[in-house]
Amino acid sequence: MTRIAITSEAELADVIRGRDAPLEIIGAGTKRDYGKPLENLDVLDVSALSGILSYEPEELVITARAATPVAEIEAAIAEKNQRLGFDPADWGPLFGAPASKATIAGALSADTSGSARVRFGGARDHLLGYRAVNGLGEAYKAGGRVVKNVTGFDLPKLICGAMGTLGVLTEVTLRLVPRAHASATLVVKDIQPGEGLALLRRVWSSPLEATGLAYVHEWAAAYIRLEGGPTPLKDKIASLRTLLHGMEVLKVADGEATFRKIGSGAVFIDQSLDIWRICVPPSEAAKTAEAIASPRWLADWAGGLLWVGMNETADLHDIAKRAGGHATLMRASVETRSRIPVFPPEEEIRAALTRSVKAAFDPKDLFNPGRMG
Amino acid sequence: MHIAEPDKNILARRGDIVARLKEIVPDGVVSDREGLAAYDGDALTAYRQSPMVCVLPRTKEQVSGILKFASEACVPIVPRGAGTSLSGGALPRSDGILLGLSRMNRIVEIDYENRCVVAEPGVTNLAITRAVEGRGFYYAPDPSSQIACTVGGNVAENSGGIHCLKYGLTTHNLLGVELALPGGERVKLGGKAPGAGGLDLLGVVCGSEGLLGVVVEATLRILPKPPITRTLLAVFRAVPAAGQCVADIIAAGIIPAAMEFMDRRCIAAVEDYCAPGYPKDAECILIIEVDGIAAEVADASARIMDIARGAGAQDVREAIDEAERARFWAGRKAAFPAMGRLAPDMLCMDGTIPRRALPQVLARMAEMSEEHQLGFCNVFHAGDGNLHPLIIFDVMKPGELDRAEAFGGEILKLCVEVGGVLTGEHGVGVEKRDLMGVMFSDADLAQQQRLKCAFDSAGLFNPGKVFPTLSACVEGGHMHVRAGRLPFANIPRF
Repeated sequence: MTRIAITSEAELADVIRGRDAPLEIIGAGTKRDYGKPLENLDVLDVSALSGILSYEPEELVITARAATPVAEIEAAIAEKNQRLGFDPADWGPLFGAPASKATIAGALSADTSGSARVRFGGARDHLLGYRAVNGLGEAYKAGGRVVKNVTGFDLPKLICGAMGTLGVLTEVTLRLVPRAHASATLVVKDIQPGEGLALLRRVWSSPLEATGLAYVHEWAAAYIRLEGGPTPLKDKIASLRTLLHGMEVLKVADGEATFRKIGSGAVFIDQSLDIWRICVPPSEAAKTAEAIASPRWLADWAGGLLWVGMNETADLHDIAKRAGGHATLMRASVETRSRIPVFPPEEEIRAALTRSVKAAFDPKDLFNPGRMG
Repeated sequence: MHIAEPDKNILARRGDIVARLKEIVPDGVVSDREGLAAYDGDALTAYRQSPMVCVLPRTKEQVSGILKFASEACVPIVPRGAGTSLSGGALPRSDGILLGLSRMNRIVEIDYENRCVVAEPGVTNLAITRAVEGRGFYYAPDPSSQIACTVGGNVAENSGGIHCLKYGLTTHNLLGVELALPGGERVKLGGKAPGAGGLDLLGVVCGSEGLLGVVVEATLRILPKPPITRTLLAVFRAVPAAGQCVADIIAAGIIPAAMEFMDRRCIAAVEDYCAPGYPKDAECILIIEVDGIAAEVADASARIMDIARGAGAQDVREAIDEAERARFWAGRKAAFPAMGRLAPDMLCMDGTIPRRALPQVLARMAEMSEEHQLGFCNVFHAGDGNLHPLIIFDVMKPGELDRAEAFGGEILKLCVEVGGVLTGEHGVGVEKRDLMGVMFSDADLAQQQRLKCAFDSAGLFNPGKVFPTLSACVEGGHMHVRAGRLPFANIPRF
């Protein structure tokens, strides 16, 4: 295994042009255990491609090199009361990696969208443009630097969540959203899953624009995060109490910490369980969780996402599919991830399309081959 | 306008092609000259061309049958919704099948629990909102053609509207599609569950202008209707002050539901047309709308008034009642017809620029107008930087169409020069196809074309749109783009 560290896009393109052997792409290396195991590949280290290139607060847009730490971007934009709308969660500690090291390209490629996705959308909804090197060693750009753009194919959507299988990102441009003046997290305790998730969907269907809607099974509690200026926030809390009349709605002292724990799966960190993330239509969340019968699970995104702790024999792909969704085996041993598909198996027509699309970007199958299997 | 000769080999088989299509859709084939004239173009009215044949399926199975046949017979397919594209996305080919999806107009399912509507591609944009508003919901993307334009067309073009800054374009409100591929197979991408479950193919299908497949069903996100909406009118004596006002609102962390800019020329035209009561001495105005819960709207509205005054607005006020609110909007919504009255023809451009570049771009456009001796005005979705210059001309006067197109092309090049893009919501189509090289390098375009080949290796879906040159798809993904040369002589050029 060789480690190839590149320091510029041009150097990267040179390396790829002369290459026929596959590579594992790493930035900070915090999520190397996510995806189908890649065995003994040469490592392409892009961590030197770091730094914010331009930040225009009045345009709500930032451009950064691919391996810029998410934490660095968040700190820079927090000064102007802005934030990343997809609310990237720090998954590093789940995989035994240090916290706050993850890179922006890694967060986009793995789509680590956190709890606020329910309000602002996922990684794909915030990447406006990028530069990358494809499998032919060609540097190219896609998208643009403005929020409203339909010029050509929307490749930035495709590159998000593609786990580095389509190319090596070198630069990304993101849209930002204003940070609310204040937030409040409220909780309804001692509530059963079906009832708790129905309550969250009710809030989701109201005009309160909640930025967090989660149910934690272990605590039998439903969490609601609201945001706004001082007066509007008070008004929203009052409206919530009216909406949930008859229920006891309490304020959580450190709601942001609670949602960080939920959004990053930190609830599972000290557990030896395998972790599955299952996306379902929100109305199916309670039923699906019940059918899985895990003692440790939580629901985020108003029920659209389940985090489930399981033992290593479980395969939840079918159960997710039957519920109208899809499952990902997020954390498990190399052995388990070699045996059970990590990403949802695709029907043949779609699998063929996926193969053609991969080949359109990386015909020699150089980048993270098979990682999305 | 020059249209290359159609493929004679296809035209020679026209009788057989019509007969085969009638077998698939017995009551939905248009092949007579008068009937086809109704399908000879879209809202990019400068270009007209009758299709070889038009077929109007009612079911997704019929769509599959048509695509399977077209693929076997190597006949190009141009999909069409309501034909409201402003970029020529639905412009037919004289040697191709026009696939009209307007008869597939059923709402398949309304699912309030999961806040979505499943609809066939021919359902109109506004019909989605009409179907759910009784329960307090609506569908957010609101292109100005929403009364007529269809869901399938919205997905193909990634349509926007006035409320994009806060609520996004179609792509942000689209949960899934069923897509018919060349060859007729159908694949479901996305759905009621969040996330792609693999590569986000849905993301790239949305906005692909009919080049990757035909949408036969779409799952759309619906939103709870905000209880309160307030509309403000801010009047400025100078464009930079209005630009500053927009920047300050954003910097204050306020995302209005809409923020519309009209320049002096546009104000004059709409005052003559429908007298909405905008001050005639204004250099420009902003119409700003905020929505949400009562306290939030009151708070945002008060802060916007302060910001506007601080930026130098000569007047800023909130509509006192629904009638005044309607009047504020009446002028904005009349911009097209008001300008249309001044000349027989109009080109509506659609670049996006960084908001800060507004004063510079407007000043430069005024110079271009002099150079080209053509009138124009500007409406601008100021919140998201989407500029709609309207150029007026008379196609019957020799040289005016050429000058209008040259003027429009220069505007779009300017948009790219200041850090923006060629099109914010209307699409590339045939209109901006030859300008793609202004924004993208050969390598950028080659990557997009390789994606096209991954879906449609025979190049039968909407050929001649989006890309300045077509290249043959090659196994292994290698492709050679020869800028400025036309490897396929039978692609229509304008």
